[in-house]
This record gives sequence, structure tokens and C-alpha cells, in this order.
Amino acid sequence: MKNRLRVLRAERDWTQADLAERLEVSRQTVNAVETEKYEPSLSLAFKIARLFGGPIEDIFQDNENNRSARP
Amino acid sequence: MQTETTPKTERRWMYTGYAATIVWGISLIVARLALDKELQLEPTSLRVAAALLPVLPTAVFIWFFVARVRGLDELHRRVHLEALVIAYPLAILLLVTLGFLQMAIDLSPEDWSYRHVWVYLPFFYFLGLVISWRRYR
Repeated sequence: MKNRLRVLRAERDWTQADLAERLEVSRQTVNAVETEKYEPSLSLAFKIARLFGGPIEDIFQDNENNRSARP
Repeated sequence: MQTETTPKTERRWMYTGYAATIVWGISLIVARLALDKELQLEPTSLRVAAALLPVLPTAVFIWFFVARVRGLDELHRRVHLEALVIAYPLAILLLVTLGFLQMAIDLSPEDWSYRHVWVYLPFFYFLGLVISWRRYR
């Protein structure tokens, strides 16, 4: 699953530690999500979406959907 | 979901953990010394009591450890779960292999009794943690 977490964080000029504090998770978790080594739980994904004020699908893109959307 | 902690409660947890670990370690050392063959502790009931001495501190240690893992965030909990998934089959493999070797040859209880084998189990858990963390770093 791809995500725009790093871009959204950079837009707000937050460090990974800042984002981790806001999400009440560890910095390692933020890093693992950003580098797409770890897919967050639904509850954490909702929390991220709420924090950035948008729907989940604007932040996380399922690889299957990406493939089927291509011509 | 991560539990809410303040620096004060975090410190209290940390001290409780250290205390539980120290008491656990001391109970292991005391039991080991009390059961030394040279000591010839009598009667047998006293030896059994010495052997069971670490049980309660170990239970407290496990309670603390489980509570700590529950307080971790989801990635850390997953890492601990994966560490167990690695460590548990390794522990079974070790015991089964030793069991078969015991059938094949005479394994000396001075080298391969329970008190020697248990040390491998936390090592397997640690190995599992290292392997799992490498995946997410």
C-alpha cells in the first residue's frame, strides 16, 4: 500500500517525532509507515486521516486500485 | 492503541519493572545457591521450597512484561508478536532435537538439563526481536 504521509508531513514542516507525538505512536512507527514497510491498522489510518483533515483514500492508495485504474 | 502515560507514571512503571527484574534475578541466584550439591540442604521440603522460590517473582515479572507490551504502540506490539512466532518454534525445535539426541546418545544432565536449556529461550526471543525489527527499519 502506498501513502503520502511523508509529503503531508513535510508540507506542515513536522518532524517524524512531531507526527508521532500527535498520533500517540512511536517515531519508529511513523518511519515504518512512511517507508511503506508497515501498513497501519484501520484505527491508526483513521487517526492519520483526521489529523490531516482528509479522507483515508487521499493518504493511502491500495496497490490493486492503482493497477486497475491504469489504462 | 497506545495507553496514555505521563512522565510520572512512565517513571513509576520503569521503577516497578527494574524492581521486578532485580527481585526475579535475586530469587534465581538464591535458589541456585541453595540447591548447590555442595550445600546438601536438608530436609527435602526445604530444597523444594528453594526450587519454587523464583515462581512468584517470575509471575510478577511476566505480569509487568505483558502490561508493558500492551502499552506499546501497534508496530512494537507486532514486533513482539513476530519475535514470539520465531522464538516458539525454535524452542520446540531445540527441545525435540535434544529429546531425539537423548534417545540416540547419553546426554549428560550436567550439560543438558532443564537448568541449562532455559537460557536458550530468552535468547531465541531476543533473536526474534532482532529479525522482526530488521523488517520494519
